[in-house]
Amino acid sequence: MRSWKQRLVPYWLLGPGLLWLLFFFVVPMYFMGELALYSGSLTTGGFEFTWAWNNFPDALSGHTEQIVRSIFYAGTATLLCLLIGYPLAYAIAFRSGRYKALLLFAVIAPFFTTYLIRTIAWKTILSDDSPVVSVLQTLSLTPGDGRVLATSGAVIAGLTYNFLPFMILPLYANLERLDLRLVEAAKDLYSSPRTAFLKVTLPLTMPGIVAGVLLTFIPAFGDYINAQLLGGTGQAMIGNVIQSLYLSQRDYPEAAALSFLMMALILAIVLAYIRFAGTEAFMGDEDEEAT
Amino acid sequence: MVSSEGNKRRATAWIAVMVAAMALALGLAACGGGGGGASDSGETTVAEGGEAKGELTISNWPGYIDPGKDGTVAQYEKDSGVKVQYIEDVNDNNSFFGKLQPQLDQGESGGRSVFVLTDWMAQQMNELGYLQELDRGDLSTVFETMTPNLENPSFDPGRKYSIPWQSGMTGIWVDTSKAPEIKSVNDLFDPKYKGKVTFLEEMRDSAALVMKGEGVDPVGASDADWEKAIEKIKSAADSGQIRRFTGNDYTEDLTAGNIVAAVGWSGDASIIENPNAEWRMPTEGCILWSDNMVIPVGAPNTAAALDWMNFVYQPEVAAGLTEYITYVSPVSGVQELVKPELAKDPLVFPSEDFQKNCSTQESPPDVDAVSEAWANALTG
Amino acid sequence: MSAPARAWAWLRRNALPIYAGLAVAYMLIPIAVIAIFSFGETPKGKLTFALDHGFTTEYWRTMFSIPELNDALTTSLRLAFFATLISTAIGTAMAIALVRHRFHGKRLANLLIVIPMATPEVVIGASLLSMFIYYSFALGFTTLLIAHVMFSISFVVVVVRSRLIGFDRNLEEAAADLGASPLTTFRTVTLPLLAPGIVSAALLAFALSIDDFVISNFNSGTTVTFPLYVYGVSLRGIPIQVNAIATLLFLIAVVAVGLVLFQQRRAEKMAAVQPEPEGGPIPLPSTAAAQ
Repeated sequence: MRSWKQRLVPYWLLGPGLLWLLFFFVVPMYFMGELALYSGSLTTGGFEFTWAWNNFPDALSGHTEQIVRSIFYAGTATLLCLLIGYPLAYAIAFRSGRYKALLLFAVIAPFFTTYLIRTIAWKTILSDDSPVVSVLQTLSLTPGDGRVLATSGAVIAGLTYNFLPFMILPLYANLERLDLRLVEAAKDLYSSPRTAFLKVTLPLTMPGIVAGVLLTFIPAFGDYINAQLLGGTGQAMIGNVIQSLYLSQRDYPEAAALSFLMMALILAIVLAYIRFAGTEAFMGDEDEEAT
Repeated sequence: MVSSEGNKRRATAWIAVMVAAMALALGLAACGGGGGGASDSGETTVAEGGEAKGELTISNWPGYIDPGKDGTVAQYEKDSGVKVQYIEDVNDNNSFFGKLQPQLDQGESGGRSVFVLTDWMAQQMNELGYLQELDRGDLSTVFETMTPNLENPSFDPGRKYSIPWQSGMTGIWVDTSKAPEIKSVNDLFDPKYKGKVTFLEEMRDSAALVMKGEGVDPVGASDADWEKAIEKIKSAADSGQIRRFTGNDYTEDLTAGNIVAAVGWSGDASIIENPNAEWRMPTEGCILWSDNMVIPVGAPNTAAALDWMNFVYQPEVAAGLTEYITYVSPVSGVQELVKPELAKDPLVFPSEDFQKNCSTQESPPDVDAVSEAWANALTG
Repeated sequence: MSAPARAWAWLRRNALPIYAGLAVAYMLIPIAVIAIFSFGETPKGKLTFALDHGFTTEYWRTMFSIPELNDALTTSLRLAFFATLISTAIGTAMAIALVRHRFHGKRLANLLIVIPMATPEVVIGASLLSMFIYYSFALGFTTLLIAHVMFSISFVVVVVRSRLIGFDRNLEEAAADLGASPLTTFRTVTLPLLAPGIVSAALLAFALSIDDFVISNFNSGTTVTFPLYVYGVSLRGIPIQVNAIATLLFLIAVVAVGLVLFQQRRAEKMAAVQPEPEGGPIPLPSTAAAQ
């Protein structure tokens, strides 16, 4: 039997972190919810708490186009990230030998140059007169107007690039645990490499895939930088709307309502997944049992 | 699977936690203050004059001053002994306002003693009680040399709280090698330029210019006039005619060759690295605006702020500034002091005739409603 | 086998590594662009992404000549330093508690840690802003620090945790068998072996803080961090020194990671903890001794 002092140790260890997250993540969510129930404006005498429940449906109905567009962009970018990232993660986990750490670093290296700068770099690489775009034009890969910037394609490309690490790292963490002997066993039983992949590797790495998808889709959904720098008039995402409402229009109640709804949607998705797979799975480790 | 006993225990635990969290949050809310709003409009404080010393923090738009060892700031520091912290963080009137509003509401200015804001934002801040009044007695040089047409603007008659920093004109920048025939804002809606034109994010520039293109004077225009112009812009945005809405960054698109024309500001020649780009006065006229120096409530060093204003209104100092930033100076006597090519430039020294069709920058009667319509047009 | 058939077979065998190489090149393209253009002469010293005017090292030599840029950079470094310190300490403690101890509420703790990682930055930034507005709390360095620590904690926990999971408890048991107290064991055995994981987590936290734009944009008031500075000047012409600094930051990161890897190699030579050797995830003691 452990002493009562010993039993308190985990609580001491967890305490500061949990409190920090509680006060600066959970509580602000509450305030955002409360702010969503205000009405008024800064220029007409301030905001007042008026149980303005109408802010929620108003915010939704006024911006359905951007919400749908955000789902489409984030979804496409996530899919691309998965297609590009899975083989890369696999290669790093099993075929990289001495270069493993180096490759992993190369994956997160972009983080070390400010998000803005690397997106601006893409803006230049994809500008109308650049050689890259000329090549794409001759290959007929550009959308109708012949330019790449200020189109959905550019925004999706930006999202894919910026969130690729978020997909690769969970995939890699999961792939690393894969027991290759199982794959060997499948091959010993005369399955083709393709079947071995589909029937052994893929199902075993599914938790990593799901974790990666969640960690990519959700932040991409709320992003606004890519749309702002690489997109044009028809590419505004829900993140742009929220940013504009908070910082330009200063319509805090509507902004808060929209953010709160977004948060609720995300929470629903995450909780559904956790119910399905357990919280440990989300952290990339499906073997441990939660107490 | 876990036993149902465990499930029940778990469920109660969850509920207990939720309740605790809610209680905590409500408790915090109870002992907190209220949200933002207009401060108590009691008396407006008058900015105190006096001997200029100590430190002065100024917030201005980027690219609005000549930098370096021989720049205006350095000159002032040498001249007055005041140490200046010059911050270029006003990228947009609205976002600057949004950033500072909570502090201004408490009577704090975030350490700044001078802001530079466009006319309408200065007016808005004043109405909310965030600015200090300026005593003419402390600003002798300013009122001696200010050009007469700026002395009594409609939003601040007698210049009680704002002093012009620079003025400018909103018109159309054109890449003459690609679209030399663009002369009016209506040309920007021509389908052959689809996706190759940009408009400014500032509705008081873009929508107002479009109104002029329709023959409506922004001065005294009704909400309906504004909304009609906004509608026109919105359809152009939705159809892809307008590539983007920009802040100062239309200059990038012009330089990169991504666009053939942009609604833009007259003084930006120094930023645009496209030798074929030219600012044109639209046939229907331009929009005239000024950016103004204001002293916010809670400014730490009002004496130095007032001294700074006097300093930059000295013609020699103003001339040095104009030579670098090429906007319209509010100080008379500058034209004789600058380089001859600049003195002849109608964008820097516009004649009455040049500006005859121009309108001043106005706000719509119901700012909130029109702003919302505009924001919807922007986020497509 | 004929030559083309051999070539094709070689291609098929090495398809994955080749793909990995291409993918990594893709990740590094913007960084290369940024670096290249930091050497391009431009008449006005502003970024134009055109190489017409020739090569120069001027911007590298005058890298710290712009006061606002220096201030912003200093602010960002200070912020990142403190945020890293605090979040790494808190996060490591949490990770230890989560892996090594049993207690009630583990699931809830996991949930609380995981959700911020999946929340879009715009929602985190906006909700924090809502709370600060509500309390009329002045926005500035403190609010930024609070926000940065908050979003870093989760990442630190995940990184340290995964390192802890792969930890060979035998070493600690051996120390205990030799009479060391729990605290001594922790100090002389656990912590040094955990060090690379902690350092990686710290690096990640540092990178996240330096890179953060969205949350900072909402909560900085008038304080200017490096990304915020870049955003400001991006509207009017980015001084090329920014490119030089971005490249420099990247190089520093490369060096830092290199050092960590080197340390890790050394640490692993002394212990049974090691990354999975190729071919299987189960570390066999004999292979460990042979390393």
